[in-house]
Amino acid sequence: MTVNARRGGNLIALCVVLGFALVLGIAIGAVALAPSAVVHALTHPHGADDVTVIVWALRLPRVLIAVLVGGALAASGTLLQGMLRNGLVDPYLTGGSAGAALTIAIAIVLGAPPPLYAGLAFAAALGTTVGVAALARSGRGVAPERIILAGIAVSSLFGGLTTLVILRSPSASASLQILAWLGGSLAGHGWDDLGWAALYAALGFALAAAVVPALNAVRLGDVRARALGVDLERTRWLVLIASSLLVAAAVSVSGVVGYVGLVVPHVVRRLCGSDTRWALPASIPAGAIAVVLADLVARTASPREELPIGVLLSILGVPAFLYLAFLRRRPA
Amino acid sequence: MIEARDLRLGYGRSTVLREVGLTLRAGELVAIVGPNGSGKSTLLRALAGALAPQAGEVAIDGTSVGALGHAERARRVAMVAAEERVDDDVVVREAVALGRLAHRPWWHWSGGPDDEAIVEAALARVDLSALADRAVATLSSGERQRVWIATALAQQAPTLLLDEPTSHLDLAGAYATLDVLHDLAADGAAIAVVLHDLNLAVATVDRVVLIGEGTILADGPVEQVFRSELLTRAYGAEIAVRQTTDGAMVAIPVRRAHGAR
Repeated sequence: MTVNARRGGNLIALCVVLGFALVLGIAIGAVALAPSAVVHALTHPHGADDVTVIVWALRLPRVLIAVLVGGALAASGTLLQGMLRNGLVDPYLTGGSAGAALTIAIAIVLGAPPPLYAGLAFAAALGTTVGVAALARSGRGVAPERIILAGIAVSSLFGGLTTLVILRSPSASASLQILAWLGGSLAGHGWDDLGWAALYAALGFALAAAVVPALNAVRLGDVRARALGVDLERTRWLVLIASSLLVAAAVSVSGVVGYVGLVVPHVVRRLCGSDTRWALPASIPAGAIAVVLADLVARTASPREELPIGVLLSILGVPAFLYLAFLRRRPA
Repeated sequence: MIEARDLRLGYGRSTVLREVGLTLRAGELVAIVGPNGSGKSTLLRALAGALAPQAGEVAIDGTSVGALGHAERARRVAMVAAEERVDDDVVVREAVALGRLAHRPWWHWSGGPDDEAIVEAALARVDLSALADRAVATLSSGERQRVWIATALAQQAPTLLLDEPTSHLDLAGAYATLDVLHDLAADGAAIAVVLHDLNLAVATVDRVVLIGEGTILADGPVEQVFRSELLTRAYGAEIAVRQTTDGAMVAIPVRRAHGAR
């Protein structure tokens, strides 16, 4: 089984790289910490020194949020691209981020307290995706092309409304706050937000794990998958629910972070093949690496203020996507 | 055994076939023939439970096919559908292993050692063991067709339905495929195969179902169905049936002078 040995090797390599990225993410910041001090603080959580406080109260929750956001978006992209058999599908396609963005924009204009944002974003992302799935319903199941059309339509409607809210907001600072949320940021969240997001993401991952065999059968074609005993309707609903939970969990703590869910699944398929038993687990560390490193750049590149991580990932993600889509040679 | 009674089949409001009755027994290899668009694939899909009939019923071993769950149905009927796009990097062994999907709980990622043995046996049966690690997309049409037959074999369903499995094959490949089906029927499988080529059907099967004029025009042994007037009626073009010197039957379209009707 040489193919599986290679895939397994790549999966382990991704996990090792993620480990390094995590230590870097914790060590580098406004106060630079030695990697050995980071490891010491991580293994001695009850110390009272500055390093332990920085690591446990600030940096660790932040890198773990980056892991969650990256892993959830990449897994969601892998699921949706597998189900729709279309490499251009992005987890935000189902409208989750657009719904969350509009809700947060309205919440900011109405002066809702910031601690509510994560919960509001989660509820709005989930609600919008359920709405899109309801629009795409066809008989007992959901029709793939209708998911894409409904998602695009709802996303552009909400996108337009969000722009309107920004333009008509009573204060410039509110508009800037909305734009900052749209640009994506992992700042301002602690263990509480992480805990809730992790709970919903865990539910999403569990559902995703359950549809892996069915998604593998879909790789042979929908008609064949049915003939092999796959309940395609149930599979599509489960993929949509899993993907909505993952996207909502990510959006609730990061705002709009694009391109991870689109590009990382392509990278993962290059490394571990499109067999979902490998692609789905591998997408989690791969997405996490992308967001942990992007967040590191976002908070250290400029000494005065953080760069929006969503914007940064778009700037890095678009060339990566163009390369994968147009310049790469066919996989061996 | 599959039994179809008084079927009316179609899509939406249009009806393709009506008053269809058909029984497929263990050990039988049956060819379904008829002109393009006559409803051969539609009938096969209905027998497989993939298309709900507008009227009538399909029963597998006495149970209505509509009442069976997806996995239960796949354990009883395997279907080899017409060509469909396969992801680039699906490997032959992996595709055939998916035939075992209906034999384990739907959330289980992989099969056990028993499943692996069944997959290897299915590969060997269609002579694919040497190609087991190749990507399906890199195989010839004939080899790909064997992959789907092996996948259906791994399903271990007593009934096998195939939709034009020989359509892209050369003569030798087509006969080889039918040979495999013959052996399977001899082992007790009930097999229905849609064939485009009348002469391939007459040379390889014992029973033919002829579809035309929106229903089953004839169903029986080759000699009974392969009659000029029946084929002419089904295909809407004059077809003669001749016997070769060694007794084999062939259907040949009768050439007309240009402009004659």
